[in-house]
Amino acid sequence: MKSVYLDYAAATPMTTQVLDAMAPYWSEQFYNPSAPYAPARTARRAFEDARARLAHAIGARPGNVTLTAGATEANNLAFASVAGPVVVSAIEHESVLACAEAHGARVVNVAKDGIVDLVALREAVAGDAELVSVSLANGEIGTIQPLRAIGDIVREERMRRLERANPTPLFLHTDASQAAGHISVNVSSLGVDMMTLSAAKLYGPKQVGLLWHADGVELRPLVLGGGQEGGLRSGTENVAGAVGFAIALEQAEALRPAESRRLRKLAALVRMELRKAVPYVVFSGPSQDARRLPGLVHASFPGVEARRLVIALERKGVYVGTGSACAASRMRVSHVLKAIGLSEDVAQGSLRISMGRLTTNEDIAYAIQIIAKSVEEERGRSHREVRA
Amino acid sequence: MGGVVFVGVSGGVDSALAAALLVEQGYEVVAVYMRNWSRDLPGFACPWAEDLADAERVAVSLGIDLEVWDCEEDYQRTVVDYVVDAYARGYTPNPDVMCNQTIKFGTFAQMAFSRGADYVSTGHYARILPPEAGGAPRLARAACERKDQTYFLWRVGAEAFERVLFPLQDIPTKEEVRALCAERGLEVANKPDSDGICFVGPVGLRTFLLDALERRAGDVVEWETGAVLGKHDGAFLFTIGQRRGLNLGGGPARYVVATDCERNVVYVSADRDCPALWTDTLTLEDVRWISGEPPALGAYVVRTRHTGPLREAQLEVGAEQVTLRFVEPVPAVAPGQSAVVYDGIVCLGGGIVARRDVGR
Repeated sequence: MKSVYLDYAAATPMTTQVLDAMAPYWSEQFYNPSAPYAPARTARRAFEDARARLAHAIGARPGNVTLTAGATEANNLAFASVAGPVVVSAIEHESVLACAEAHGARVVNVAKDGIVDLVALREAVAGDAELVSVSLANGEIGTIQPLRAIGDIVREERMRRLERANPTPLFLHTDASQAAGHISVNVSSLGVDMMTLSAAKLYGPKQVGLLWHADGVELRPLVLGGGQEGGLRSGTENVAGAVGFAIALEQAEALRPAESRRLRKLAALVRMELRKAVPYVVFSGPSQDARRLPGLVHASFPGVEARRLVIALERKGVYVGTGSACAASRMRVSHVLKAIGLSEDVAQGSLRISMGRLTTNEDIAYAIQIIAKSVEEERGRSHREVRA
Repeated sequence: MGGVVFVGVSGGVDSALAAALLVEQGYEVVAVYMRNWSRDLPGFACPWAEDLADAERVAVSLGIDLEVWDCEEDYQRTVVDYVVDAYARGYTPNPDVMCNQTIKFGTFAQMAFSRGADYVSTGHYARILPPEAGGAPRLARAACERKDQTYFLWRVGAEAFERVLFPLQDIPTKEEVRALCAERGLEVANKPDSDGICFVGPVGLRTFLLDALERRAGDVVEWETGAVLGKHDGAFLFTIGQRRGLNLGGGPARYVVATDCERNVVYVSADRDCPALWTDTLTLEDVRWISGEPPALGAYVVRTRHTGPLREAQLEVGAEQVTLRFVEPVPAVAPGQSAVVYDGIVCLGGGIVARRDVGR
């Protein structure tokens, strides 16, 4: 059976270059980078070299890059740097929303296309907010946020506080995990104070991520111990992971212009063909190409239950996500779809089709045919939750 | 054949085949996943979401509707609370027996019929025999004796069986069930069996009980001598015949022969022939007869645990209670367990063990 993977927003396969670069550090160069003898220094050098390359790729200094076990930890670390109220958008990733809740979150609504309401954001940061966290691109509907405009609001508010001798700091954090590899993640052009990246979404290893912070930000460690990562993240360094991450990010940046163009075309094909095959399909996310991730299509089929559809597709070798994986397990509509005002009936039949480097035109042709057929079969099949 | 059947689908292999067979027999089938318990306990993540995903796979591959029915409140009230309360009183209750009575052939069946079902169905290994002249349908052991589940069904009344289908009733072995599932491309064909209490199975009774009841230190006493051998942390955690969890620090293997929850004492013995481990008479309470009428006095066969041996006993029906006098002494049965009475393959009903006379 043909198999077509269309869930790159959930996980990406490691490239051979990444695998090869990581290989020596599992066994030959297994040394603890903190050990005092010469061979360990090779591991230390490899690790610090990886950090330098990661920093270079995002236009930052190595000293401002903290390596973590994935993006969720990096997000947690960013939130731990402040004590006061935080402002987040309604469509943030669970790891951001959960951290925000612990801080007394001010949740800012988004428009139908997922773009954060800047007027509401300006009001929410006024006075005492200490952190704004808005993802660069949303992983479910693909919305790219106007981060520079958000940065302007944050800087205006800082000026206001300065003028009023209000010493409360205010920082802007962005989780760029879903954006990296598709749009620029250069920290100075984004105008942010902290940025999260994940290797797992970049054809690198899972459980490897980083948090970049600007000079004025004072990070507070969440993982205590031997004082690695300048005391910000204890635990023996993941040398192989860091090396793999560096190669992965460099590769992603090199491939980005051509790959984005290619994915954009594939996504356009998906939208066109799906519309032809299933005229009542509903697409979510911004309609302008510049405002959405190139390889992601969010499609809803009213009257179809997405969980069933995913199973029907899996049986034909097509692997697609339903969007927010966590929301899927309790049969609740995802918070992202609720926030953009999608009606429950439409939201329940939603697929997130995310394409990547290995996706071909033939894959798309096959997948569209299978999706159209399965939607036809599953339409009207109920999957209700009833209180007994 | 025809009609609307609501079938309980758990994500396991038995109910998957039941649903498939009903579809093939021409019924209009609606699959229902009853969510009875979804809470995680210390060290145990409840697998309900994975079970539901398996149930969904079954429904999609059969092309039938699946509904999720939230039965957690009823399950808590009629099964979990009953179980905890029984253990607190020193009984060893059987949750599956209660679940069949109150949930599967209670809440589920009632709601299915009110929603227009002609029949309800489950993947139980049990058989329904047509009524004898003028009577009600009878419950009988399944063709597959090794998996027969009538032990768990004795509290369900005959009127319920009038509209129940057990599609697995004639299938001779579990292996056959798996083979039939594999033949139909049902991926659950290789899923391991989940015998026992759905939520207590993987987590262990101890974790479950300690979540609900307070620990209380008490003595472990040797049955023969009355000597205190050690300490336990709650008599309700122990049941007759239990060997593990006594922590007596070496010495011969000892078995729990009795518990006294009021005085919080656990009695043990190293002697497998200890009279307290055997009995020849059981007194039953909370007795139910499937037909609604007590059977005639006389000789029957009795089972005191799921798929346990069928033992001959004389049945005496009194005004308040029922007494079973076994022909040969039988291994002791903990109060709270079910004793189920059969006439040949027909399951007549049973009762909850209230008392046993010690000795052999």
